[in-house]
Amino acid sequence: MEYIKYIDVTKCDGCRACMVACKNWNDLPAEFEEFHGSYQSHKKTTANTWNVLTFTEHVTADNQFEWLYRHSSCLHCTDAACEKVCPENAISYTEYGSVVINADQCVGCGYCVQNCTFDIIELATKKDENGKEYKVAQKCTLCTDRIAEGLQPACATVCHTDAIMFGEKDKMLKLASERLNQVKERYPNANIYNPPGVGGTHTVYLLAERPSVYDLPENPETSYTAKLWKDVAQPAGKLLLGASVMGVVGAYLSNRLFNKEVDESSLNEGGKDDEQK
Amino acid sequence: MMSKNNNQETVRRFSKPVIVAHWLNAFAFFALLLTALPMYTDFFNWLYPVFGGPANARLLHRIFAIMFILPTIFMILVDPKSFFHWIKQIISWKKHDFQFFAPFAKDFIGKHADVPKQDFYNAGEKLNSIVQILTTIMLIGSGIVMWGPDNFPKGLVLWAYPIHNIGVGLAATLVVGHIYLSIGHPKSKASLRGMIKGDVSLEYAKEHHGRWYDELIQQEVVQGKKGKKSKAPSNSGKNLGV
Amino acid sequence: MIIGANPAENHPISFKWLLQAQENGGKIISVDPRFTRTSSKADMYGALRSGTDIAFIGGLFNYVIENNLYHKEYVAKYTNASFLVHPDFDFEDGLFTGYDEAKRSYDRATWVFQRDAEGKILKDETLTNERTVFQLMKKHYSRYDVDSVIAVTGTDKESYLKIAQTFGATGHPDKTGTIMYAMGTTQHTVGSQNVRSYAMLQLLLGNVGRPGGGINALRGESNVQGSTDFALLSHILPGYLGVPTASAKHATLKDYIENETPKSGYWVNKPKFIVSLLKAFYGPNATPENEFGYHYLSKGNKNYSHISMFEAMYNNEIKGLFAFGQNPVVGGPNAGKEQAALANLDWLVAVDLWETETAAFWTKEAGMNPADIKTEVFLLPAAASFEKEGTVSNSGRWMQYRWKAIDSKGEAKADLEIIHSLATRIKKLYAGDTSAKALPINALYWNFGHGDHPDIDLVAREINGYDTVTGKLVANFTKLMDDGSTASGNWIYSGFYPEDGKNLSKRRDNKDTGMGNYLNWSFSWPVNRRILYNRASANYNGQPWAKGKEVIWWDDLKQEWAGYDVPDFLKTKAPSAAGGMDPFIMLADGVGSLFGALNEGPFPEHYEPYESPIPNAFSSQEFNPTIKVWTGKRNDKGGIDKYPIVATTYRVTEHWQSGAQSRNQEWLSELVSDMFVEMSEELAKEKGIKNKDKIIVTSARGSIEAYAMVTKRFKPYTIRDKQIHQVGMPWHFGFKGFVTGAIANHLTPHIGDANTMIPEFKAFLCDVRRAD
Repeated sequence: MEYIKYIDVTKCDGCRACMVACKNWNDLPAEFEEFHGSYQSHKKTTANTWNVLTFTEHVTADNQFEWLYRHSSCLHCTDAACEKVCPENAISYTEYGSVVINADQCVGCGYCVQNCTFDIIELATKKDENGKEYKVAQKCTLCTDRIAEGLQPACATVCHTDAIMFGEKDKMLKLASERLNQVKERYPNANIYNPPGVGGTHTVYLLAERPSVYDLPENPETSYTAKLWKDVAQPAGKLLLGASVMGVVGAYLSNRLFNKEVDESSLNEGGKDDEQK
Repeated sequence: MMSKNNNQETVRRFSKPVIVAHWLNAFAFFALLLTALPMYTDFFNWLYPVFGGPANARLLHRIFAIMFILPTIFMILVDPKSFFHWIKQIISWKKHDFQFFAPFAKDFIGKHADVPKQDFYNAGEKLNSIVQILTTIMLIGSGIVMWGPDNFPKGLVLWAYPIHNIGVGLAATLVVGHIYLSIGHPKSKASLRGMIKGDVSLEYAKEHHGRWYDELIQQEVVQGKKGKKSKAPSNSGKNLGV
Repeated sequence: MIIGANPAENHPISFKWLLQAQENGGKIISVDPRFTRTSSKADMYGALRSGTDIAFIGGLFNYVIENNLYHKEYVAKYTNASFLVHPDFDFEDGLFTGYDEAKRSYDRATWVFQRDAEGKILKDETLTNERTVFQLMKKHYSRYDVDSVIAVTGTDKESYLKIAQTFGATGHPDKTGTIMYAMGTTQHTVGSQNVRSYAMLQLLLGNVGRPGGGINALRGESNVQGSTDFALLSHILPGYLGVPTASAKHATLKDYIENETPKSGYWVNKPKFIVSLLKAFYGPNATPENEFGYHYLSKGNKNYSHISMFEAMYNNEIKGLFAFGQNPVVGGPNAGKEQAALANLDWLVAVDLWETETAAFWTKEAGMNPADIKTEVFLLPAAASFEKEGTVSNSGRWMQYRWKAIDSKGEAKADLEIIHSLATRIKKLYAGDTSAKALPINALYWNFGHGDHPDIDLVAREINGYDTVTGKLVANFTKLMDDGSTASGNWIYSGFYPEDGKNLSKRRDNKDTGMGNYLNWSFSWPVNRRILYNRASANYNGQPWAKGKEVIWWDDLKQEWAGYDVPDFLKTKAPSAAGGMDPFIMLADGVGSLFGALNEGPFPEHYEPYESPIPNAFSSQEFNPTIKVWTGKRNDKGGIDKYPIVATTYRVTEHWQSGAQSRNQEWLSELVSDMFVEMSEELAKEKGIKNKDKIIVTSARGSIEAYAMVTKRFKPYTIRDKQIHQVGMPWHFGFKGFVTGAIANHLTPHIGDANTMIPEFKAFLCDVRRAD
């Protein structure tokens, strides 16, 4: 069953219980960042801060002041660039629609970090039992471990205004479109953010303003460089390499076949070369 | 310098710096390839423990990357003559160069072929050099971006990955051919000696690099097939790309 | 209407219901000096300069009366609007009749109603007599026209009119509106009158005692309601019984009862409550012969509120202090002075979850030289709320039982255990002592179990009350007696534990029993009533004012009141019976007081804050004429010459009070990890301050360093052509915990409300500059 986390920012009152609930459930350490000059605690999501509430002061076209909040976390794309570029196949889709990282398979290369369409994933530095540091990519899991147990994501559970809801995809999308009509009067630019460029997401927003106001890309796409890389270059490279190996093996055999007079001594002679001249 | 080897006269083909640079480069290339292979395909994941884990593999990859860049700088500083000779050679394309490939294909699989007289570097070596230089630029350029992605615009970073990937695909393919021709192919393998000891037999020079041989004769570095010892050719170059 | 409160940030669970109401078509109005997270969700926002609530609300009185928006029937019969006031009562230039400048108080002789020969109050229910409360009120607030008001509050006219229109519309009998307030209202020198003005507005609009109406105090902590009910205040005993003073009128229990018991209203039962309380205190040691131990109660004549106590400490008049979950070094007004005052103590006992700034007031990090401090400090580790059981009472007066979730760490103990251990040990120390000071201690009836572990059930039983002969629990406070046959620790809660095994505060039935009442969930005092004064929800005939607004109604067939709530009076008292139309049973007159008496006078009048950036436009009385002005050292008053900027303090969602709990919790600390001061872009530009700069804020009491947060949410006020800037800052920071920062209360003054002495944290003067 495919589920989505539906975030109605027009209901969010910026309490940030979602941030604390996330750290609590996932046992993530606090990260003290420098003062950012606003109520926002973290510039963006990090490997140990899987969701960040953004605070945006926005003056609308008709000079209305709005203080906008957005629960920013992994969008769990249907066509996730991170999944595509992971060299270790450590990132995978679950039956619920979430995109998860297998920490045991992750080698900490950071390709997903660079390729994430929404700049969400980051590398955590951890220590193994010998005290040696290693890196591993981390991000919101949509609480897949909770979903598997029939629970909702921790952030959705704790959200007291139902700004974060979790449920079956169709049901949530229907709720979102109904709500959109309700909020249009107050927020004429309201829109549903479920970008088709990444095949849709499993964190769907009802935004009060244009995506760019929230620092979201207006028309995001799973990067074509990732597609070029993983869908074209890599298979082609493997093919080419395979073909060249086959080629030289073939050539070696055919030399053995057509060129019987050549023997080991030719190594030092440069070949007897009755063919070249 | 000419010398006798197995009763054969030889001629100096590559200088010591060229040889050092070539093998350093070759070593770095393979080290880079090996340290990255498990990332290229899961089939080689068993290599991680060999390198002491993914983090160490990445560290080694970066060390070898520097090693990979060094030969070029080394050549420019120590033996610019050979280096620029190589460059000049590989960008010089004449009729005989273009006529090289059709017969070469036949020759490659061991059939008889008439290859026109070639320069110090034959056209195959020239093409190999050019493509390898290009892939090297691709690999090093994109590699630098991948090393410190935070210092570059995201668009550039995103491009670095496919470029690195394409670069390695091309380079590895060429290297397979390159190795085959130097140790696997019955007739080119004599050239390996040039890259180990620095000299090749006059006969080899004559047959594979006819124009170079003619030059040597002209400059009286060698005298015919049975020439006496002489000084090494002044314009001996290095072979980075073969 | 949310005014002086910020529920989205400080009472987020309450805000959940507001947002649901909004989804159902309700309108949220946010009135606040700064644009808060609450304002961001509100349908309309009105900015007001800190400390101008009475002007704002006075303007609404005027608007509602002038535009005939008030609920006429309600006002005529359910309030004292029709009462005729003493002919000599008057008001002039900010002062009501009877002001004594030397005493800074009033003689209230004329603040009374005219009565006939039988003592009945004279009324004019047409409300046209010019001596009616209504006409006097109309006249008083005729000065508060919209333009005069916004020239004080700085609100823009369009917003003000929109708010007046929207909230005024709730005067229609079909509609109700509620007012939510918190410390933004109360923490002013006119705090009590601020609250009173809201209550009066609700009376005018007929919004009290009705569903969706009332004024809702959003408490500063989860159990402030409970601690107030249980008299964690200096002037009351449990159940809002006044503390006896060392005066002739309280000389004996008989005097106390005679002078403190009104002749009408429900308080006529007060003797039963005080005697039952004394029986709870002193048990068998309370007898009719010793006036039920009345003389064991300590009696004094001073004000014993927070500021007074710290002034006394500062002046070496107090030797010891128990700080139970109190952190005055961070949270007290003029905290620097309060910290210095602690150094004058012989001993200090801090009872807290962590070593707070108060417990560590003597350390180097507190800026003190430990060698100079003679105070002996004890730190008793206390259990957190999840580590103990007991009840908390919310502001809807629901007494909800909480069970213990986890054991405490280390030696931490529940407050009850700490108090119990203290009481039993002290009693032991005084055993056999017959001196005067030992008498109350020996008389104290402390029967909550043996050893160091009290039985909380015994405490609960005592609160509910029991028959002193049989020991049987009483059904509720109507069974309490004044002859010593009953004991009750707090009469208003009597009924929560009516019989063995039935502690109603433990009920958790979340079924809606009608109109959003959940009568079987916990227990709401008094006698499980959810809406106080709910007689006002029905019209003269006992029928609901409007469909969809039903609470209780008179059933003519059964001759009793029916409905969704427990009637706030005798169930069988018909509307036509005597007192059948008196909803406000706790008041002697049975009606709501549009004319009532706080120390400042019967009508709230605007006075500027103690430190104000501008002269009072309404009168020549600059600040509240009845407040006590503390003239001691280290409490200077700042003037606009040096401190032209208005400052206010507040809390944020992520931190809790003085930060003791939240700054010791990493996940909360990371969310707001630095002390900041919010200011407008205009002020920042004027002062050459950029966002994130370090700045210095100075008041007449002290100065602090913090980060500047330059924001569009703060705007300068234009008051009578003068631009007045305002800054705001959280008061959560101190020098202990994962995150530290400057203590905002180093800036605030020792000055309090004239009735409650609640400190004026919300409006004082300062100046700001860049730190470098």
